[in-house]
Amino acid sequence: MSPAPRGGTRSATASREGKAGGRKKFFVRRRKVCKFCAEKLEYVDWKDVKLLQSFIPERGKILPRRISGTCALHQRMLQTAIKRARSIALIPYATD
Amino acid sequence: MRLYDIVALVTPDLTDEDAQKVAAEYRKILSDGGAEIVRDETWGRRRLAFPIQRKREAYYHYFQVSAEPAVVAETQRRMKLSDQVIRHLAVRSDLELKRAAKSAARQREKAAKRPPRPPAPMPPASAPLEAPPIMEKGEPS
Repeated sequence: MSPAPRGGTRSATASREGKAGGRKKFFVRRRKVCKFCAEKLEYVDWKDVKLLQSFIPERGKILPRRISGTCALHQRMLQTAIKRARSIALIPYATD
Repeated sequence: MRLYDIVALVTPDLTDEDAQKVAAEYRKILSDGGAEIVRDETWGRRRLAFPIQRKREAYYHYFQVSAEPAVVAETQRRMKLSDQVIRHLAVRSDLELKRAAKSAARQREKAAKRPPRPPAPMPPASAPLEAPPIMEKGEPS
């Protein structure tokens, strides 16, 4: 490690400086808000296909909380609603 | 008495009228058992999200009833045996609705208790002035 060639050391410092001025610091994440809380929905209706569809991406899986921003309570309600809707073929279990 | 949501999917091989007759059959079973039918909706012929018994469509019929558990159990049993009903779902919904109503009431109460908030738009006026001084970056000390 210690007798490193000059060329190597120089390139290392250069990259470090580049990082210090990087724009990673200025990246602002939009705050996600639970859709159900925002609209004051107390109950997720499993008959409302249009609503449920918005939480089902292409593949047919349930959109995770980390992406949709839904709160724990409403995600749980959403989960049962989606599962019920699936059982009567309103919503697919999986799509490919 | 408990509130239930019941959905039945009737084979698409039948005509519209026959599908209605099948729904009427179950309506009769329910009301004979002393159930009070709150909502009775025909959703009509819908495309299924996936094939059930090689069928890609079905007639959907929805009941919301207030009934004793035994009546719903009997209806479900008949639906299971029936060849015309290819899929059904019966769920108890009074608990969820009750909880929803309760939390809605709680929120309303909270909103009523909270005084109106006129002094809200005060702070942002002075805050941005005290922004931290901009430091020079990339200066190795």
